[in-house]
Amino acid sequence: MNTELTYTEAMKLLEEISRNISSGELDVDQLAAKLKQAKELVEFCKQKLQAVEADVNQILNNEQ
Amino acid sequence: MEALSLYDLNLRVRSVLEDTLSEPVWVQAELSSVATRGLHCYLEFVQKAENGNTFIAKARGQIWANKWALIQPYFEQTTGQPLSPGMQVMVQVEVTFHEIYGYALNVLDINPTYTLGDIARRRQEILRQLETEGIINLNKELELPVPVQRIAVISAEGAAGWGDFQHQLVNNEYGLAFDVQLFPAVMQGERVEPTIIEALNQIAAEQDRWDVVVIIRGGGATSDLTGFDTLALAENVAQFPLPVITGIGHERDDTVLDLVSHTRVKTPTAAAEFLIHLGVEQLQRIDSLRASITDAALQLLHQQQMRLERVTGRIPSLWELYKTNHLHRLDTSLSELQNTIRTILDRQHHRLELVSTQLDAADPVRIYRLGYSVVRKDGRAVRDASMLRPDDEVEITMERGTAKARIQ
Repeated sequence: MNTELTYTEAMKLLEEISRNISSGELDVDQLAAKLKQAKELVEFCKQKLQAVEADVNQILNNEQ
Repeated sequence: MEALSLYDLNLRVRSVLEDTLSEPVWVQAELSSVATRGLHCYLEFVQKAENGNTFIAKARGQIWANKWALIQPYFEQTTGQPLSPGMQVMVQVEVTFHEIYGYALNVLDINPTYTLGDIARRRQEILRQLETEGIINLNKELELPVPVQRIAVISAEGAAGWGDFQHQLVNNEYGLAFDVQLFPAVMQGERVEPTIIEALNQIAAEQDRWDVVVIIRGGGATSDLTGFDTLALAENVAQFPLPVITGIGHERDDTVLDLVSHTRVKTPTAAAEFLIHLGVEQLQRIDSLRASITDAALQLLHQQQMRLERVTGRIPSLWELYKTNHLHRLDTSLSELQNTIRTILDRQHHRLELVSTQLDAADPVRIYRLGYSVVRKDGRAVRDASMLRPDDEVEITMERGTAKARIQ
């Protein structure tokens, strides 16, 4: 996974994959690969959220 | 021709005078000089013409020690002033004539009320004149600058009043700083007017350097205030460009100078206290402004803190909401994707099945299984019996196996 990808970019890719698959443009041969990529993107986004949450918690705790 | 000796003549004059003016008389006159020698007081009385410039009468006089010891305190206590030149007096006199010293008035009593009345009348005249000139309130109408710190003092050098004033100002308990400079003047007698006017002129020449003028003199046991009751002095003070404060050390009544000055206090010490009071007022004003600024700032700070706390307090829940939304969105998109893919796969699967069913249906084996057979002639399926002729050889394909046959 590209480490320079931002959360928003990852979400865009995810939505694009979703759209491609839903529209039926994709070849069946590509489905599995695309699903794999989608799962990776979701995981990436979740990790980003978790990292941000850790930061947020730390910042809030420091301020108290 | 017979002639009298001078001595005889003087004796005769003396006896005439003593016979005709044997009783004491009250007389009104102006003093033109006053001098004490030993315990006696020697005077000169004059009367001026109506126009005020030429003498129309003059007489020497004296108050012997036994009378002077009574008259002096009585007069000074009543009028607040010593006998002095220029003063109008009403005195009870004995007319005397001495063979050597000549005509003289021996003062037995004095009416200080007459002098007071005269002083008051002269003051009234000066005040009327100032009013006519329209300047009587000019100095009072000046505003005291803020702060009052640069003080030009008119007083007599070495006078107790000037020392008191300085001491009081310098040692003020509030730590107020004053810039004080003395402009010396004579504070008693005839030189009061010209020297004070000279000092005022010096101050006016550098008026930007000063905030106020203070005219002070120490109050002695007796005080000669006549010098302060002159029109020229009053005009100078009334029209002076800086506020003038007077503290010329007397309790009884106000001189014209006091009436035209901006502020009048009784003593030099009181003048210093007045200036200190002005400074204290400003300090209090600053303190009160500082307090209100501090209050306002604290209040503002408190409000902003509350606002900040409210906003900060909302951050965790906002974050939770944000995170939940995004997690939900991620989960949903993934599961939707999986569903979509499943649907696609299902559909493809279904299509495959359909195709294979169709293929199955088309498979001849299935027909053979039903008991049907296919007749071929020359490798081609025979669909019409008219295509066949007797003795044609055909091939019959069944579920299991193939047989050859001949058409009859």
